[in-house]
Amino acid sequence: MQLILFDVFNGLITGAFYALMALGLSLILNLSGVINFAHGGFLALGAYLSYTIMPYTGFFGALLVAPVLTAMFGLVIERFLIRPLYGRDPLYSLLLTFGLAYIFEDGSRYIWGAQSVPYQVPAYLSSPLSTEFFFLTGYRVFMVVLVALAVGALFYVLTYTRLGMRIRAGTRDLETVSTLGVNVRILRNLNFGLGIYMAGLAGALAAGLLGLQPTIGTSLLMPSFVAIIVGGLGSLPGTLLGGLLIGVASGLTTVILPSASEAIMYVMMGLVLLIRPRGLMGEEGRVH
Amino acid sequence: MSGNSKLNIRRRNLLQGGLVLGASQIASPFIMTARAEDTIKIGWDNPLTGTYAAPGKNELIGAKLALEEINAKGGIAGRKVEIIVEDSTSGDAGTAVQKARKLIDKDKVNFLIGNVNSALAIAMAQVSNEKGILHIVPGGHSDTMTGATCHWNVFRVCNTTQMEANAIAPTLIKTYGKKWYYITPDYAFGHALQSGMEKACTALGGTKIGGDLTPLGTTDFSSYLIKAQSANPDVIIFLVQGDDMVNALKQAVQFGLDKKVHLAGAQQELENLKGLPPEARVGNWVMEWYFDQPNVPHVADFNAKVVKASGYVPTSRTWFGYVGIWTCALAAAGAKSIDAAKMAKALQDFHLPPEIALCPDGAFYRAGQNQLISNLYVGKARVKGVKGPDDLFEVTSVVKGADVAGTLEESGCKMTWPA
Repeated sequence: MQLILFDVFNGLITGAFYALMALGLSLILNLSGVINFAHGGFLALGAYLSYTIMPYTGFFGALLVAPVLTAMFGLVIERFLIRPLYGRDPLYSLLLTFGLAYIFEDGSRYIWGAQSVPYQVPAYLSSPLSTEFFFLTGYRVFMVVLVALAVGALFYVLTYTRLGMRIRAGTRDLETVSTLGVNVRILRNLNFGLGIYMAGLAGALAAGLLGLQPTIGTSLLMPSFVAIIVGGLGSLPGTLLGGLLIGVASGLTTVILPSASEAIMYVMMGLVLLIRPRGLMGEEGRVH
Repeated sequence: MSGNSKLNIRRRNLLQGGLVLGASQIASPFIMTARAEDTIKIGWDNPLTGTYAAPGKNELIGAKLALEEINAKGGIAGRKVEIIVEDSTSGDAGTAVQKARKLIDKDKVNFLIGNVNSALAIAMAQVSNEKGILHIVPGGHSDTMTGATCHWNVFRVCNTTQMEANAIAPTLIKTYGKKWYYITPDYAFGHALQSGMEKACTALGGTKIGGDLTPLGTTDFSSYLIKAQSANPDVIIFLVQGDDMVNALKQAVQFGLDKKVHLAGAQQELENLKGLPPEARVGNWVMEWYFDQPNVPHVADFNAKVVKASGYVPTSRTWFGYVGIWTCALAAAGAKSIDAAKMAKALQDFHLPPEIALCPDGAFYRAGQNQLISNLYVGKARVKGVKGPDDLFEVTSVVKGADVAGTLEESGCKMTWPA
């Protein structure tokens, strides 16, 4: 029983992380209709930038600066590569970001090498907080708090700021938003940057938890897509819920059938698609 | 897409995207070196991407060094040698086989080299045997390759998993305890290594109290570690490799498991230790070759050449690649032919010259099994390098390969030669 409890908590921690990545992915998908396969690449970029600037800025400085740099890079990518593809079949942007994902991975390999690099978090964060609940390390708690803050800030921005309201409105009806005088190009650009900021932050956090290697983003991409589908396409709270559910389900499956711990999220996805095709919190008719 | 009241992305698009992502695993890029018709061609079918990219690239560094040396000495059979490089991926046997067939059928290579991943190496061996090509496996450890499924044309440089298990098991049992819990990668290599460890552990009075098979490429090991700790073992045996090893050890140390139980395993690689933060460089392991061998002739020269070529000291993988390519040249020289069967015969009980063997007790391909028998280096990980930043392993004993290899009969290899 204790083991199951451990795994539920641990799954929530892992799930919070999936959710952070999936939220960025979902933001971009909802407003711009771009299935960003390069999201894992941006995550890796955030992680490697954080590793590179850490000697100059320290751990917390890197955590602040690296996601911003990643987002700025995202703004440039959106402006010059993705923007020309709006209005075309989604397959175009899918193929573009798919190619970008390869370029990011091989680029990381070229610049930082094929083998993992030692990413160090401060010593006081890298040990368990209690002997009994050893899986609650200082870093994991810090990560969950930071994810909660980031998610809270995102929802605040979307709910109470002019930019957020425009993004939400654009998600529902971009044409009308455009007609009302909102510069849709800038809106999409900023929204893309916001999504990539989440990826960069997820990367900087992931590097402290996992090994930092060129494939770090690729391996976390699929759970994020699954989180979006399970939670409901078009719904950010749904994406958050999807990420958490996947984390818990994966953790619990490890207790019972470890070899199925990865497959379980696809089983969940299959079940959701069969029983409630719009996802757990997706609105009916939002997606066709 | 602009300005619709509904998203033009269909769920189907997202699912199709997922399928494309899956399919991409077999569509990796390849690199070719310049070629000429009269050269001897060596087909390199090894990982350049994925979880085994780092060991794969280091094997290639060793291979290129050997290639330079061979060409400087006149090549093979008086012909220049070139390597045609293909990315096998780290875990897709279909891609590895497809590339092996392409190298043999289209590029007409004289030798085939690969793979780091045992499952891929075994699949490639079926092809090389069918085509009658001399095939060197630099770094795939699963026992069956030079055991139950051995082939006359397939030679292996790295050790068998049983050799690694036999080398480390006595230290772990005597020093740290008899109750072992395994965290094992779920494919041919992991299964073979765990089986070898269990056999060695049982023979010394130890027991397995639990274990988990983890999918190759696992990033989050936290659930497995929670389970392992709750089983209260004396030793958690990490048999995962590559990036998986880095992820697993990093998380185990974050959980403070290194202060509760002993963390160890069979095979460790310098690539992994370098990728870990200092506090996670813990445990007892086996290295299959180590660069710090001041009393072994030629090692210093080899180290200097590799540092010059790559900027880093050689690892076991660099040595595997180096020996792999040199084996091709030595086989041809021994047979005075590039006929695969004649070269394979020439390699039976063939002793590598000391400047290639680079280990204290020499190295030879055991006849009837085609397994290289060299030394194994048992020791423990170091937090910080002593003789330079890369000296992250303290060798506590050097084991003779012959002492841990078992007999030819025990290997299960029944070699069938072509008529």
